[in-house]
Amino acid sequence: MRSVLFAILVGLAGAALLHIIIVLALPQFTGRDAYTRVLGLLEMDSFFLLTTEPGPTGLDNKDPFLRTAACSFSLGEAPVRLVARGAVPFWSLSIFDSGSNEVFSMNDQTAVNGNLDLVVATPIQLVELRKSPPEALAQSIMIEMKDEEGYAVLRALAPLDSFDAQVRNFLADSRCEPFQR
Amino acid sequence: MFRVPLLVALALIVAFAGGIASALWALKATVGFGSIAIGPWVAFPEAQTVTADPYAKAHRARAGELLYGGAEGLMFTAATDDSGARLSAACSYDISGITPPARFWTLYATTSDGATLRPGPEVPSAINSWTVLRGADSRFVIHASPAAQPGNWLAIRHMGNFQLVLTLLDTPTAGSSGLIDLAMPKIVKTGCGDA
Repeated sequence: MRSVLFAILVGLAGAALLHIIIVLALPQFTGRDAYTRVLGLLEMDSFFLLTTEPGPTGLDNKDPFLRTAACSFSLGEAPVRLVARGAVPFWSLSIFDSGSNEVFSMNDQTAVNGNLDLVVATPIQLVELRKSPPEALAQSIMIEMKDEEGYAVLRALAPLDSFDAQVRNFLADSRCEPFQR
Repeated sequence: MFRVPLLVALALIVAFAGGIASALWALKATVGFGSIAIGPWVAFPEAQTVTADPYAKAHRARAGELLYGGAEGLMFTAATDDSGARLSAACSYDISGITPPARFWTLYATTSDGATLRPGPEVPSAINSWTVLRGADSRFVIHASPAAQPGNWLAIRHMGNFQLVLTLLDTPTAGSSGLIDLAMPKIVKTGCGDA
């Protein structure tokens, strides 16, 4: 009887250990985290507009008033430049690394003239950009990202249905592309 | 003769069943630590950051949502009313008061799993700070109900339990450490059934 109790006790200790291992290791193995889903949109280097119905990747516009566009990028060869212009009541942008950790976020009131113009670069690329700043990036915000892979999420607000076309144009015209000088 | 293998098997079964079940339960039950709770409203301002705890990271990797960044907004979820009873789609609720300072807010209902309820374009299924009708003191009362209501009506067409999601866009609330007295709307049950 004592040995059965001992076996259960050992089992419980193992269960606690396994619990910790599962929780710590899960982010690497789920295969349905936000980064993997954004990669599944199959559109590198451009913003992809999400729909109200979840697509094959399971991403959708959760909020009825917010239209969302996502873009996955890689900084392996060149920095990425994000540009969006237009008049919408509100827009906001977040940049995440491949572990879905927030690197940077902003909205239209924290932007220059209310326009989105932003460059994401690795620390080494950023040093080169600062050494000889290109003319085109005079107004751009520079973001340093240690991870080479990541994704950006751009949200725009349509408080009334009549804003819908305007917001769609804003998101459709937004760009997310490698920056070549 | 089979005593020792049997004991080893017992220990292994307890370890694997207990470990897997408790991990799944913990990830289902909560989004992690570090929540802000104001009445029934709960938000996780740190869940998308690198400093999020391991439970929050595992939860967000399983859910795969596009979370709001700190400068974007903060999403509050309420699964219960002010008395602590779960929100039932058969009942009517009054959501009244004011929201914390924000440039904009939206309110909509979801299923218990977090999928947005979309009853169709003919009924109002979401309300925002532009479309809400306010009193003279800028307070508002929103009636979440399956039946049509005067004033602000949030149509709930669903079976079972539901959740309310209030998203504050461009709000200082996310960075506040409880120093500001945050006021969230109250959720009070007004009746159940067809009455």
